[in-house]
Amino acid sequence: MSHNKNTPIYLIAFLLFLGGVSYLCYFGFSENSIYFLNVAEARTASPDKLVNARLFGTVAEDGLKNPANGSGVIFRLEDKDNTAQTILVNYVGPVPDTFKPGAEVIVEGGISGKGYFTAKTLMTKCPSKYQKENRKS
Amino acid sequence: MYVFASTMQFLTLLCALFAGGLALYDIWRGRNDMLPLIEKFHWIITVALLLASAVLLHALYRHAFELQYVASYTDLILPVFYRLTAFWAGQQGSMLFWALAVALGGILFAVTRACKSLNPTTRLWYWAFFYAIMAFFALILTTWSNPFLMQTPPKDGNGLNPMLQNPGMIFHPPLLFLGYGGFTVPSCLALAQAFSNRRDEDNAWFRLTRPFILLAWLFLTAGIILGAWWAYMELGWGGYWAWDPVENASLIPWLISTAALHTLIIEERCGKLGRINVVMMVLTTVSAFFATYLVRGGVVESVHAFGDGSVGTPLTIFVLAGLIIAFWSVFCAKAEGKPLAGPNSREGLLTLLAWVLLALAVIILAATLWPQISKLWTSSPKGLGVAFYNSVCLPLGAIIIIMMAICPWLRLRGGLNNKNVFYGLVGCMVISAAVLWANGYRRPTALVAAAAGIGLVYNAGVMFKNTAMFRSSSALGVLGAHLGMAFVTIGIAFSGPYAEDKDLTLAQGQSGQIQGYTATLLDIGNGRKPGYEYTAARLQVKKGEKIIGIITPERRIYDKFGSTQFSEVDTIPSLGNEIYASLLGLDAEKQLLVRISVKPLVNWLWIGGAMLCLLPLLRLLRPRSVSALGRGERNQPS
Repeated sequence: MSHNKNTPIYLIAFLLFLGGVSYLCYFGFSENSIYFLNVAEARTASPDKLVNARLFGTVAEDGLKNPANGSGVIFRLEDKDNTAQTILVNYVGPVPDTFKPGAEVIVEGGISGKGYFTAKTLMTKCPSKYQKENRKS
Repeated sequence: MYVFASTMQFLTLLCALFAGGLALYDIWRGRNDMLPLIEKFHWIITVALLLASAVLLHALYRHAFELQYVASYTDLILPVFYRLTAFWAGQQGSMLFWALAVALGGILFAVTRACKSLNPTTRLWYWAFFYAIMAFFALILTTWSNPFLMQTPPKDGNGLNPMLQNPGMIFHPPLLFLGYGGFTVPSCLALAQAFSNRRDEDNAWFRLTRPFILLAWLFLTAGIILGAWWAYMELGWGGYWAWDPVENASLIPWLISTAALHTLIIEERCGKLGRINVVMMVLTTVSAFFATYLVRGGVVESVHAFGDGSVGTPLTIFVLAGLIIAFWSVFCAKAEGKPLAGPNSREGLLTLLAWVLLALAVIILAATLWPQISKLWTSSPKGLGVAFYNSVCLPLGAIIIIMMAICPWLRLRGGLNNKNVFYGLVGCMVISAAVLWANGYRRPTALVAAAAGIGLVYNAGVMFKNTAMFRSSSALGVLGAHLGMAFVTIGIAFSGPYAEDKDLTLAQGQSGQIQGYTATLLDIGNGRKPGYEYTAARLQVKKGEKIIGIITPERRIYDKFGSTQFSEVDTIPSLGNEIYASLLGLDAEKQLLVRISVKPLVNWLWIGGAMLCLLPLLRLLRPRSVSALGRGERNQPS
């Protein structure tokens, strides 16, 4: 390899770039990382982990209610593997089309003082997930 | 017939293994007498996959519910168009489609003069790698993901989910697969030339496979843009990108391939970065398989999760093997040893651009897998939400757009090639930023990105004044793509942070306001159309006293999908503020719940996306022409 007088410049540029990206990632991570938990894990987690968390589970068959005013839904989120483990979720906002009892959902938010999980976002699985459902039918 | 189709898939596996083995045997012997035979096997493979695909299409057409796959994704009332496109609605069919796309790509390359001009040893290596990939596809299709599994036929199938019955979603998956598959030929040839260590300037892999690289990138881009458009128009949440693992999965190969496209310019013009480009092209293909692993391997929790994870392990092994081969190729390929010009040159800036693109790919990859990675040291895994991606990736995206704006005005080996125009560009970006700031658009990343996007438009304007530009379709293609990227950037920079949503509860005749627009509920109607019942609201939208239009969002209940309601959004399209409405439902007092959104400049995203996907096709017209952007460079001393 012939000598490249630009190598030190690229090295410095790379270090600066790496430093900048690392700072961005560190800042982004410390500000925006959240716990990803199943319902069973959330039930046993310490309260500080539920201040800002994303929960994965299934909409329970019973306990589904619509709020008196405005859009949203109140429902029990049950663990996919252990249906005895549930958490009450209160969500205000547009309810996704495929939301229904038995649907796999992802909620993001935190435990409120009233003991239920206040969800800022509610996502249902993509319709392509119907593959599994179809197989059951 | 379906046993025959399964047999065709098995024949593909046998042929790929046998022919790949023969190629390796010939390489080991240092001979090439079996090369004609080895190449003939690819015709058998392609015909076998074509026959299997024809059988699947026939089964879809005639409602052959004895096939599990057909019953899963179609029903008796599904129109023929959607029935046939269910070919790629599920995991098994899409793997077959991908395999077929790769096989046809292989045939297209095999019949070219470019392929025949290759050194026999290189061809042997090429076929060894190509057959390895075909064998992997065939293994998946014959074992974990066979679309021809039989069952006792039900009276009717499950039908295609109504949300997927949308042109955007129909063409989004095959475009992604054509993109993924299109990089196979260039990757295999890059590896073949690296391993055989035989390449001359005219026969360089990236020159011989230029149409494949370009088309694959265009298909991938179109697939991503269409997916975003489908999410915007069909899902009803008003966004087009949620940084979901599956969305990220398609973005990673796009970022790597885009980086490769730009580092290839350096190799083509200056004969540098040869080994890096081989690795980049192979990483593009490997990352396509990795994307499939993320989507179908069940490795991350996602709102999308196709398949049941059965193909996760084989895909993991294949991706790891691909990575090993990619980095091994570095030691096999010839080192050019030419020093790179400084960062103030076009080749330097293109290198830095590749760094940023690759950094984005790595960050998105790590963030997507973070819940799994963090499980290594904690039982309470952490993940990263939308805010992380927005705070980390968008600034890097803005830097990329600034680099794109500056790059054309740098000489290949350093310095400015037109100082006045460059200072004009800087002035344009600074003034744009100042004007945006004064008008209240003060989010830093969006401000910088929008100013750089306007800078790209300025560049395009300056270049269009150069009449030489119109003599080179290649240069026009590049310019069109960059102008498209400018519009995409401007669309995202405004419609992302400055969009506003408002949920309204309205009785008939009542109004609600958002950003100076007034939406008045005219009426709510119910009705029935073939296959579904609907509730539709008609809202009149005014800006001040001027009527902007009538917007009619719907909710539908399809006969096949129980009580599930599906939202059909409606928009009042505009190149300025687009009004978007999604019907959320009716409350207990039968008042309308509706989400009205104002999306500034969102349609520039789709216009720019279309330009990005279509205009680079001009480069195919004259593949060897030299960009007018660099025309002046060629006669200058380097």
